[in-house]
Amino acid sequence: MKVVEINDVFKTYHDTEVEVKAVNGVTLSFEKGDFAVIVGPSGSGKTTLLNLIGGLDQPTAGEIIVAGHRLSELKPSELIDFRMEHVGFVFQSYNLIPVLTASENVGFIMSLQKWPKEKRMARTGELLEAVGLSDRHSSRPAQLSGGQQQRVAVARALAPRPQFILADEPTANLDTKSAETLLDIMEKLNRGEEMTFIFSTHDARVVKRARRVITLEDGKVVSDERTNHTS
Amino acid sequence: MKNYQLAWRNLWRNKRRTLITAASVFFAVFFALVMRSFQLGTYEKMYRDVIESYSGYLQLQHSDYLDESNLDNGFVPEQSLTDIIEADPNVTGVIPKLESFALAAAGSRTRGVMVIGMDPDNEQKTLNIKNRLIKYRLTPDATEALKGENLPSRTAKLVDVFSGEAWTDEKSLISDLGIGDDDSAAVMPLFRKYASLDNRYLTSADSGRAVIGYGLSRYLSADVGDTLVVMGQGYHGVSAAGLFVIKGIVSMPNPEIDNAFVYITLADAQYLYAAPEMVTSAIISISDTDDRELLQTQQRLSASCNDGLVIRNWKEMNALLLNQMEADNKSGAIMIGILYLVIAFGVSGTVLMMMAERRREFGMLVSIGMQKRKLAGIVSMEMLFIGLLGVLAGIAASLPIVYYGYARPLRFTGELAKMYEEYGFEAVMPMHLPDTYYLWQAAIVLLILLIAITFSVRRIFKLNIINAIRA
Repeated sequence: MKVVEINDVFKTYHDTEVEVKAVNGVTLSFEKGDFAVIVGPSGSGKTTLLNLIGGLDQPTAGEIIVAGHRLSELKPSELIDFRMEHVGFVFQSYNLIPVLTASENVGFIMSLQKWPKEKRMARTGELLEAVGLSDRHSSRPAQLSGGQQQRVAVARALAPRPQFILADEPTANLDTKSAETLLDIMEKLNRGEEMTFIFSTHDARVVKRARRVITLEDGKVVSDERTNHTS
Repeated sequence: MKNYQLAWRNLWRNKRRTLITAASVFFAVFFALVMRSFQLGTYEKMYRDVIESYSGYLQLQHSDYLDESNLDNGFVPEQSLTDIIEADPNVTGVIPKLESFALAAAGSRTRGVMVIGMDPDNEQKTLNIKNRLIKYRLTPDATEALKGENLPSRTAKLVDVFSGEAWTDEKSLISDLGIGDDDSAAVMPLFRKYASLDNRYLTSADSGRAVIGYGLSRYLSADVGDTLVVMGQGYHGVSAAGLFVIKGIVSMPNPEIDNAFVYITLADAQYLYAAPEMVTSAIISISDTDDRELLQTQQRLSASCNDGLVIRNWKEMNALLLNQMEADNKSGAIMIGILYLVIAFGVSGTVLMMMAERRREFGMLVSIGMQKRKLAGIVSMEMLFIGLLGVLAGIAASLPIVYYGYARPLRFTGELAKMYEEYGFEAVMPMHLPDTYYLWQAAIVLLILLIAITFSVRRIFKLNIINAIRA
């Protein structure tokens, strides 16, 4: 089942006098349960493509359909609701809410979606358990290590059961052990919850675990390979 | 988590900045309230003093008397008109008054004075001149005698500071001279011995007696029992001359009045000025002194007036005083405006820093699904909390000071007192009890916050998520 369809998408920036084609005619699709990475050199358009898929940015041309929604047809406020319902984000620099505890951070999107408290608490507990942080539910982000914070961010992204997770360089700020632990958890969740993960990364550790590797260069897809990797 | 809970927690992320911003609001509100309380208290005292000791709230006058206050613009009050006025539901009495100028002399000194003739028994229903009879005064002799006594050191110092001053009641004397409860029993007999004044007020039966202002008594070196020579021009140019024994000395609140006040009975004044049955005005005492009711009473009574007679209210009769107050009010408003400008800069600085610091966080929140209006609501609440903290703390801190200043007005002495008196004001600054002006100060701060909130809300709605996340 296709979760994301990208049809001949372009994204051009006019920030400077030079026109930059960050995404240049990309056509792709992602299936439910994909564990895919987008790789490529700096400036190849990885993050831009991720932003377009997540509805954070609008393409200059082309069409993106996510879970049946044509993103170009959604108003800005509808796009925000769309992201809340269908997309989970994991950022490079964790971006947890500093005044909330780990469990409050995980439950944050669910509270925006007005989940009943009991259901929310149960899901939060389940996810903190899954990411190995059930003993840190009351800790604030500043009391957690980088790896732990990123695990909370993954739990937060997964909490409302989105269609897929977009992870932009999730391991960039982590040491090897933390990165491996995080990837273990993501793989497990990918299999256990059949959650679709789309990564943008330079990190060979992530690429090594991916079951699909998409390579971008100058905004174009130069290769899209399925691997035989199994964890 | 509720929005307000998140806003409250966000507030304490940067405790120092929150406290500094709230403190700037606090100090501005505190100083604005204290300043405003002093201003309003002083204005209220000034006009109440003038009304209660001199003009009353309403007067019946000849229409020309306001511009040319002389006997030629006097009138003989008709009983029928007086009856109509007294029948008004808001009127409690009518006090005929004859007022003119003269020269007064005692010993070798002479001064231009304002001779006021009223019926003392009738006048006491409206005016409070009787309460201004001096009970204690620190003459040079009294000061020296008291300094020779074994006074507590603070009181001894204050006796020097207040030398020349007079008091109309014991409570003010005790307060001004810092006489403690423990010392009172030992010290007050000394004041009664050296500084008390045996003083009497006029009665309607008194003839050839006068009550004079304390300032005039000091200038003429005239005391109770001395004779005052009054000379002037009577009605239609006849000469007016009379001798009056000083029966009492009063401390009038307005220094200009205090320095020229000679009060005799109405009958004596009519005889002195050769103006039998004439008055220059009639003070109309009323029960409800609220501005609206005052004007309605004035309108009702004016309808009954004829023969060039008019009803004037205290504001018309004291236009100069009101202009002075208005000018002072403007300068006060400028000072308060500067204080609020400081708040505006403080709050704007906080908003700018907060928006810059949290840009990435805002981008993240919107990207994970928080609507911008919800985010704007949380940020607005944060600003509102800071403002309310400052406003409520400012109000709480000002209340004890305002109540204390109301109960024990600030009294100036020395050069500062002289300066006040030169401007025609009594050197006393009472405070005004909390009133609508408290609400106004809070409203102004909230308006400043609203502007800051509008700015931050606008920035949130214009937030570019991609740029914000990269910030």
